[in-house]
Amino acid sequence: MKSKFFVSAMTSLLLACALPSLASARDLMVVGFGGGFQDNARKHLFQGYATEKGVKVIDDVYNGEMAKLYSMVKSGDITFDVIMVEAPEMVRACEDGVLEKLDWTLINKDKFIPGGASTCGAGAVGWGVSLFYDQARTPQGPANYADLWNVQKFPGKRSLRSGAKMTMEIALMADGVPMADVYKVLATPDGQKRAFAKLDELKPHIVWWKSGAQPLQLVGSGEVAYAVGYVGRTIKATEGGAKYPVQWNTLLFSFDYWTVVRNSPNKAEAMKLVNYMTDEKPLMNLAQDWAVSPATAAVANNPEVVKKNPGMVASHAREGLFISTDFWVENGADLEAKFNAWVAK
Amino acid sequence: MVTKRNLLAAALIAPLLLLVLVSFIVPLGATLYRAVEDAEIPTILPQTTALLKQWDGEALPSEQVYRSLITELRDAQEQQKAGPVLNRLNFEETGLRSMLLQGLRASGRFAGSTKEGLIALNPRWGDPQFWGLVKRSTGPWTPLYFLRSVDLKLGPDGAVVPTAEEEAVFIKLFLRTFEISLTVTLICAVLAYPIAYTLSILPQVWTNIGIMLVLIPFWTSILVRTTAWFIILQREGPINALLISLHLVDQPVTMIFTRFAVYLAMVHVLLPFAILPLYSVMKGIKPDYMRAAASLGAPGWRRFLRIYLPLSMPGVAAGAMMVFMLSVGFYITPALVGGSGDQMISYFIAFFTNTSVNWGIAAALAALLMGMTGVLVAIAWLLVPGFRAGGVRV
Repeated sequence: MKSKFFVSAMTSLLLACALPSLASARDLMVVGFGGGFQDNARKHLFQGYATEKGVKVIDDVYNGEMAKLYSMVKSGDITFDVIMVEAPEMVRACEDGVLEKLDWTLINKDKFIPGGASTCGAGAVGWGVSLFYDQARTPQGPANYADLWNVQKFPGKRSLRSGAKMTMEIALMADGVPMADVYKVLATPDGQKRAFAKLDELKPHIVWWKSGAQPLQLVGSGEVAYAVGYVGRTIKATEGGAKYPVQWNTLLFSFDYWTVVRNSPNKAEAMKLVNYMTDEKPLMNLAQDWAVSPATAAVANNPEVVKKNPGMVASHAREGLFISTDFWVENGADLEAKFNAWVAK
Repeated sequence: MVTKRNLLAAALIAPLLLLVLVSFIVPLGATLYRAVEDAEIPTILPQTTALLKQWDGEALPSEQVYRSLITELRDAQEQQKAGPVLNRLNFEETGLRSMLLQGLRASGRFAGSTKEGLIALNPRWGDPQFWGLVKRSTGPWTPLYFLRSVDLKLGPDGAVVPTAEEEAVFIKLFLRTFEISLTVTLICAVLAYPIAYTLSILPQVWTNIGIMLVLIPFWTSILVRTTAWFIILQREGPINALLISLHLVDQPVTMIFTRFAVYLAMVHVLLPFAILPLYSVMKGIKPDYMRAAASLGAPGWRRFLRIYLPLSMPGVAAGAMMVFMLSVGFYITPALVGGSGDQMISYFIAFFTNTSVNWGIAAALAALLMGMTGVLVAIAWLLVPGFRAGGVRV
């Protein structure tokens, strides 16, 4: 009786363990940060590829946490194939061996703007954050980061992204550091202390956000008066009738990369998808529906696209601060931990 | 004596044992193991590890050691394996990552000795303390993560020293976690007692309705209930609208992102865990005892203190323990309705697990939290009547 039971228990256990590998012949999975961009990318990039090649492409959303990727690669149960990653995370994940080195025989390397082709990442889209507020509630709000710190003149809560990246830069700019010197100052221990000291001043007035939809909700519900949020979403909200003008002088921007998960069972197909998604034609189609700012030179420099999408971050590069990938690769882990310790105090 | 009956019992328990083993003991062991494991450098740089084991730790290591480190690191980088080594050393001391990468890039250009080339590049390469750090990280075990979890670290000479003030946060967070959990437990116990008592003496039909009122929110997802509080408490939410329309306040009261909101939402979520065990214990207390006490002339307060309270204590203990253990691990509720100063330790465990991908420290924090909670529960077991006397009945 016992042995019979054990045999059946063990068999079902083994079956349960074997199931994930049985399911390996699965559809191509693309993972991004969601929002309006992904809705439009689904139509023009993911489904565009699916129709052209006759394969099935499905997509999912994550918040930029890399842990899932790491545990996936470690356990060998890979459910993502292509994943959109922020630049410093891409470099670190590449070093850590959780991303595949891109196969430049399958992906055309010459189509990108400078910096758009990296060992493990193919430049996807530019993104930025900027200061915004609801003009319907506050006709005249802060015009720059120094103003954002002025709680006498501009009362009300402020919302910033919970994390060191971008927040440290903003604090230094608020303290009067010119944009060009931000990373020089931030690279020194004194500069980091200075940024935290500046953040101390504003801390009681800050509501921290985690996902890109939150700053719009917080400003929209009147919970906070001013927020630093993603430019693309702010512009979309403005098109939907809200009065949230983007202040380009407060822009911080960077590029996201398409990457392929290490040991993906659909590796070759994934590389081809990355190549397709960075091609001129599908991106031109996407640009008709969404103010995309691609890293593909032919689209980024296309005068029609630039004219049609005044919200392209690349067009405002000179007004804003480029978020230094090198700096955050080097200091990210340390500063993020320090930032979290500071926030919790 | 092995009988057929015993075998049958064993077979019946086996699935549960297997489940507990697979889903509880094994992950728990793996977590504890990860908190002390130090395998990155010995696995990825085996030759350097072997050489450093022989190094006396005082004079500078030989050219051979320098060359071995650079060669193995370069191989690792080509195979995309260098990351864990760089992260491990950078966690030991910030800046080592860039120093190693800089050395790696420059090493191709060295005409003569790797050792001299590296020292000329950055004098830190010629510091025996740096090599001490590397040697210390060659495993197989490290106390580093546990030390960091209580705001300590190993100094350059290997002595245990406190971490820099701006990084010392974990002790504070543990204290805050227990402060919030104990407060929530106390509030839940005080609120649950009269509710459970009322439920236990009502006529059956009213009891059923009352129990349903407790159970329906209990069955609703924590996320939904917490989000509801978010909506109710926000600046332009119904409470503030009411207060302003009644002219009780001029400006909206800040309720969301405060400790008050955390207590409110946590008590709301956890209250059923206190009510249900209390109710079941109170239901079992025979009214005869109270009548007997009354017939012997005890006044109401005395009957309560001497008879009813001690008899209901096992329910209080069981409810309080459940609420306490659950609140210690709370994460979503403080993250949604609390401010940055109201986050508990699990917020950091999640941060190190998900965002920072430093599973060593996440595992150490989790293990410490479990250990401390265990100690607190053990103390309660010894000191609070009801835990032992009646046994914990759930």
